[in-house]
Amino acid sequence: MNNSHDRPAARLTARGVVRRYGGIEAVGGVDLVARPGRITALVGPNGAGKSTLFDCLAGTVRPDAGRVLLGGRDVTGLPAHRRVRLGLARTFQQIAVFPTLSVADNVRVGAEQRTGRAGRTGPAGRAEARDVAERTVEALRLFGLQGLAAEPAGAQPTGVLRLVELARALAGGPRVLLLDEPAAGLDAAQTARLVSVLRGLAERGMALLLVEHDAELVAELADTVYAMAAGRMVAAGPTATVLADPRVTRAWGAVG
Amino acid sequence: MPVEAALRSARVRYGPLEALHGVDLAFPSAAVTVLLGRNGAGRTSALHALAGVVPLSGGQALWRGRDLGGLSVHQRVRRGLALVPAERGVFGSLTVAENLGLGGPGHDEVIELFPELAPLLPRRAGTLSGGQQQLVAVGRALAACPALLLLDEPERGLAPAVAARLHAHLLAAATDGRTVVLAAQSLPRTLAGAAVVHVLHRGEVAFSGEPGEPLPKRFATPR
Amino acid sequence: MTAAAQLATTTDSLGLTVDLALAGLTVGSAAALSGIGLVVCHRATGVLNIAQGAQAMAVAYLLRDLVVVRHWPVWPAVACCLLLVAPALGVLLDVLVYRPLQRRGAGPAETMVAGLGVFVLLIGVAVLLWGAAPLAGAPSPLGGAAIRLPGGHGLRPDTVAQLAAILLLGLTVFAATRWTRFGLRLRAVVDDRRLAALTGVDADRVSAAGWAFGTFTAGLVGIALAPYLLLDPYGLPLLVMETMAVAVAARLRSIPVAVATGLGLGIAQAELTRLRPSGQLLPLVEAVQSNLFVVALLATALLAGPRIGGEGAGEGAGAAPLAVRRTGDERAGGGGAGGSGRLAGAVCLVLLLLPLGFRGNDLRSALLVPALALVLLSIVVVTGYGGQISLGQAGYAGLGALGTALLMSGRVPGVPSLPAAPALLIAVLATAPLGLLTGWPAIRRRGLALALVTFAVGTAMSRFVFQQPYATTGLVLDRPSFLAGDRAFYLAELLLLGLGLLTVRALHRGRLGRALTAMRDHEPGAVAAGVDVPGLKLLAFVAGAALAALGGGLIGLAGRAFDPAAFDPVRGLLWFAAVVVAGADSALAAVLAAALLIGLDAGTVAGVSAVAVGALAAAIGRLPGGLAALPVPRRRPPPALPALPPSRLSPTGRRVRAAIATRQAGRVRKTGEDGAS
Repeated sequence: MNNSHDRPAARLTARGVVRRYGGIEAVGGVDLVARPGRITALVGPNGAGKSTLFDCLAGTVRPDAGRVLLGGRDVTGLPAHRRVRLGLARTFQQIAVFPTLSVADNVRVGAEQRTGRAGRTGPAGRAEARDVAERTVEALRLFGLQGLAAEPAGAQPTGVLRLVELARALAGGPRVLLLDEPAAGLDAAQTARLVSVLRGLAERGMALLLVEHDAELVAELADTVYAMAAGRMVAAGPTATVLADPRVTRAWGAVG
Repeated sequence: MPVEAALRSARVRYGPLEALHGVDLAFPSAAVTVLLGRNGAGRTSALHALAGVVPLSGGQALWRGRDLGGLSVHQRVRRGLALVPAERGVFGSLTVAENLGLGGPGHDEVIELFPELAPLLPRRAGTLSGGQQQLVAVGRALAACPALLLLDEPERGLAPAVAARLHAHLLAAATDGRTVVLAAQSLPRTLAGAAVVHVLHRGEVAFSGEPGEPLPKRFATPR
Repeated sequence: MTAAAQLATTTDSLGLTVDLALAGLTVGSAAALSGIGLVVCHRATGVLNIAQGAQAMAVAYLLRDLVVVRHWPVWPAVACCLLLVAPALGVLLDVLVYRPLQRRGAGPAETMVAGLGVFVLLIGVAVLLWGAAPLAGAPSPLGGAAIRLPGGHGLRPDTVAQLAAILLLGLTVFAATRWTRFGLRLRAVVDDRRLAALTGVDADRVSAAGWAFGTFTAGLVGIALAPYLLLDPYGLPLLVMETMAVAVAARLRSIPVAVATGLGLGIAQAELTRLRPSGQLLPLVEAVQSNLFVVALLATALLAGPRIGGEGAGEGAGAAPLAVRRTGDERAGGGGAGGSGRLAGAVCLVLLLLPLGFRGNDLRSALLVPALALVLLSIVVVTGYGGQISLGQAGYAGLGALGTALLMSGRVPGVPSLPAAPALLIAVLATAPLGLLTGWPAIRRRGLALALVTFAVGTAMSRFVFQQPYATTGLVLDRPSFLAGDRAFYLAELLLLGLGLLTVRALHRGRLGRALTAMRDHEPGAVAAGVDVPGLKLLAFVAGAALAALGGGLIGLAGRAFDPAAFDPVRGLLWFAAVVVAGADSALAAVLAAALLIGLDAGTVAGVSAVAVGALAAAIGRLPGGLAALPVPRRRPPPALPALPPSRLSPTGRRVRAAIATRQAGRVRKTGEDGAS
């Protein structure tokens, strides 16, 4: 993407995040850093607290204690849509697209919500409209979606929907991208394409954090792995080290 | 080898996500078939498609050569199909005896196979441990004396000895003419006598063959 | 005061308390019966019987017809109504309306629309068959002299019968579920529907039984309440709907809680008559006293939280509340509107210009079309564009009309009597922020929970604001002299409707329109795209309230009077169903719906429009997206399937493949070309 109107790179940091549900600690004081230009993975068995931590980072769940920092700015108290506008984008395991909008409009929503302003007129408004159009076209081109731009998103197959969702997230010019099981519903060929797309984004300086069930994908993609079990971080470090860690294999089952 | 049930170019879609990308799977009659794959590989979707729990978005589910498309779940069950789901397999508010009774007449045989269920009969299934619940779920399916039995990771939470007993029973049931399909993450050693192994990977068939053949490493029996 | 006198007062007071409690049991036991019906039906079917009030009304009408008009003896008539007609109606509704929805895996919102369709349909049928005028003389099978109790208290025999019915139904349900084979299946279905099917239980039969029971109790409630009021198609359904509070308080699960709440509310309502505060509080207390169930419905719906009765457990996080399918024409925006959009626009224009050639009564009826169209547009904005269910728009319309009337009559303290135009404008501006009353609860609620809250708010407005003496007497609502003529007023209405359409179009296009659509299609996804969802919801409700108030004000000015009945909450349900049937996210369809609603009733017999709308809404299972979606070709065929990558096949694997292939080939040969894929 054209970096001239993108924000500087930023890291996402969680410090001592705690989240309880009815007295039970789903996440019990964990730390995590997602660095720019790197792909960080968060792994663990079902019920380990990955999703809760993910929601705390994205802003759909408020932590009971601890802080979430985006590029040094404390965003713990900000609602999810404000975090998005600060450059913290996310995707969903159950792909979130807007079926009655066209593919292009799906992406455009992401581009035009980048700022909280609407309906500006005059030169500033025109510049913004141009910026939105540029970002939309760029994101569509990056994922090879130009040919489908006018098609309704609802009729597209899973592989395309995954790309539409990613394109929308990217059109908002994120600095950090949170991915929830991004390969769910993709076949082997589509997964391979996704891997190269995500690598490309990291090379552009974006910080990627993915929650993933699939050890194979983690081994292929991640630079750094955090492993959770029962609400705690049990291991963190370079991918190969963590995936070979007996504590992780025990909690997660056989890996690779 | 006669085919009891099959999926043909089967596609399953949950909202935007496609879990099975058009798979061809065959389950031979009077034999145990093991369906291997990791989480998200499509094992559960394949079993659910056969049982009618999820509709197919493409392709066919066949049983004894007949397209199952028009049959609802309970109609398939009444024709002799049974599915043990991987999760939420018992009626928590009913007693164990009621759970087994809903299955069918084979109540006594089940107790014979799993005597550990006998003292639990009057208890509410919701108060049991995970492993006990799993046993009740398996027992209910066996009580129905099904011709086509589908089990989704039935060993989950079971003690190895109990799981081995179950596997032996399944193999014996197959020689009696029943067809068994069992989904698992890796091939249990006690099911080495299975007739066919299918391996699913990302919603596609990655391997079909006999258990004795070299499986992809990660699905082989853990040593 | 002597000790004896004091004792006398105390016993008097105690006696009165007992008397009032016994009197309160009449309504209380009817509410408890309604609660039992709703809870049992919901547990067996998974659906809240939102049409219960209309079912009660229909059975009550039928009984009156059989006894008063056809001179049947009372008891055979009661038996026929309750044991034959009501259960049959329930089963019929299940087979025709709810089962297709279940098959299609429709969400709770669509199921609710179908329920509203049944509601509206039954009301329409009642109006067609028996007219809209209130009828007296509903038979009271157990009416008669009160039974004397020790202590000189009286108890009505029908109250005794209702209490006995509660006991009998409660025990029967308990015994049947505990000790019968069917009961075991029922409990299995209640526990886990999917798993029940996996054990061979036919959930459809359990559902049919649930609907039969639900309609039977609805009939019981109708027959119990009818003798206490004049029978009209709107009053009784609304009254029964208010008793839904009882079932909501029981979280649609517990029969004992429902019974206790029903009896408790009935007694409390009666005891409240003892409170006679002086001065300005009196009207309020009186209003609460006669509408305690409305207060309870509002409170329970708000307290019940975002989900009611476990609803939404199986619903995808972002499942669109209603299946809306937008046509390609509309997406292209106004600029390049293609075939069907342009056609609809032309039809609308002709329909709206036609009345300019009318005179007399026809023209007077036509005055309601643009006004109603504006009210329906408010539903398009809130529900069609924003995806938020709002059953309370009739309330905002009424506020617009009442506000205009109050301002014109100089009844607002500190404001002199205003002419019509500024009064209407100020009323609209004052009503708009009140949209927050339903917008605020919508931030955390969806589906059924939101439907109940918005309906309760609308009902509360009707009961506590519109049906008060100050609103029903001495209000002036006259048109300015230059609009005194009906034709001139109609033109002015068209102008305002045009403005309304432009506003709505602005809400549907550009950045705001895309954000609204995103919110409707997938709420968490919209948040993830950076859309301020809570703010946008509030905006939609505020804009909706303003549009509804404008339409309501025009309805008032058209008739030159404020008529609370015009803004009855039940009428609001009809309007909502009409918009959904027409295609919730099409503004033109809403205008067409308004023309048809008014035109059908004026051109044929009253009730025809309700029957048409009700039947179409009940058929929503076969008509997702409403009429506006019809011209669009069904979902395009899926793209050609890519060839499967060759999988690694061992010799056995190949044999298995070959076996399927032969089997399949044999099948294809047998079935001919049909089997070929």
